[in-house]
Amino acid sequence: MIRRIGPLCVGAVLFTLFQPTLAATAIGDLAPDFTLPAASGGNVRLSEHRGDVVLLTFWSSHCAVCLAQLEALSQLQTTYRSAGLVTLAVSVDDDMKSATQFAKSHPERFPVLFDRLKEVGRAYGIEAIPTTVLIDRRGHVRYVQSDYHGTDNSYVARVRALLDDPL
Amino acid sequence: MTSARFFRRTVATLTVALCLTCQLASGAEPPATPPAAPAAAAPASAATVPAAAPAGAGAVATPAPPAPAVSAGPDTSTRALDEQIQDLKQSVVDLNRDLFVLEEELLFPANTQVAVFLSMDVGEFFALDSVTLKIDNHEVSNYLYTPREVAALVKGGVQRLYVGNLKAGNHELVALFSGKGPNDRDYSRGASTKFEKGVGAKYLELRISDRVRSQQPEFEIKDWE
Repeated sequence: MIRRIGPLCVGAVLFTLFQPTLAATAIGDLAPDFTLPAASGGNVRLSEHRGDVVLLTFWSSHCAVCLAQLEALSQLQTTYRSAGLVTLAVSVDDDMKSATQFAKSHPERFPVLFDRLKEVGRAYGIEAIPTTVLIDRRGHVRYVQSDYHGTDNSYVARVRALLDDPL
Repeated sequence: MTSARFFRRTVATLTVALCLTCQLASGAEPPATPPAAPAAAAPASAATVPAAAPAGAGAVATPAPPAPAVSAGPDTSTRALDEQIQDLKQSVVDLNRDLFVLEEELLFPANTQVAVFLSMDVGEFFALDSVTLKIDNHEVSNYLYTPREVAALVKGGVQRLYVGNLKAGNHELVALFSGKGPNDRDYSRGASTKFEKGVGAKYLELRISDRVRSQQPEFEIKDWE
């Protein structure tokens, strides 16, 4: 019995020790800055949106829930754009083609960015998609939601609260 | 790299500590009498005594101060406090600058420092998207440019793209530029140079300019002596 379990335990310990550590961004931390290429062309840098409320969402074109959330976020962006809301949709797809096709077929009203190397996802400690990160006008992470239900719009209230908070 | 992170953390901690000191000075010290306005603060404090004391005794012991002195007191003290806060803020900025210079000197000493700058002239035939830098066949920088940054470069800005350390001797720098070229086509070009790193700091400049005759962009690397 011990002979069977022994290697498993050693394997588990080794896996724990050597698995890549995720530097999860905690609430209140300064949001890690990044520059990513956009589907529409050009590059987008997060720090250039300091002063706006940024809603960062990590998604994949293979995730049906993500697509439903993007539709909802599109409406949210349309409503609060003038109040200073900026939505950035970061695709974590391995294949940029499928993400590009999606971006073209769904002309959302926010930039679709490609995190092909998953560097931004790692910086934010993303473990599931969709994950939504709310960043305030000062560039601090204020809210992280790692799931989406069509009826759950709790982040809408938080967006409103952050928009009401002056710089 | 670990020491660099440690140094940056220390610098950040010191800056935050100084900022907190500023906030404490502004938040906790309003009751204290500022040195600049002792005369104005005295009548103000005296004016509060009669209000707390019994009416009859207070009226006999301390006469009421003149009205203008009471109204001028808080204004003067607030102004003095503002000046103190501004002085502290200025000190924070100066300290931050000094620490930045110190950090640069410690992390990148002049005898090993190599800095690469990037500048653009006109930019009519080339819209910059990214630059990849390789030194001795090792990628040291891969920078993506936003439209704002490109606009700043076109206006005459110079960006320090890379700063690092190299030992003395011969080295090779390769820069790969990508973006949109003439007729809005994807455009990638490379430029390379071999340079000798001596005792002092080495400065290299990547220049992107328009060659009007051929209607093409031109990429060159200049060695600042």
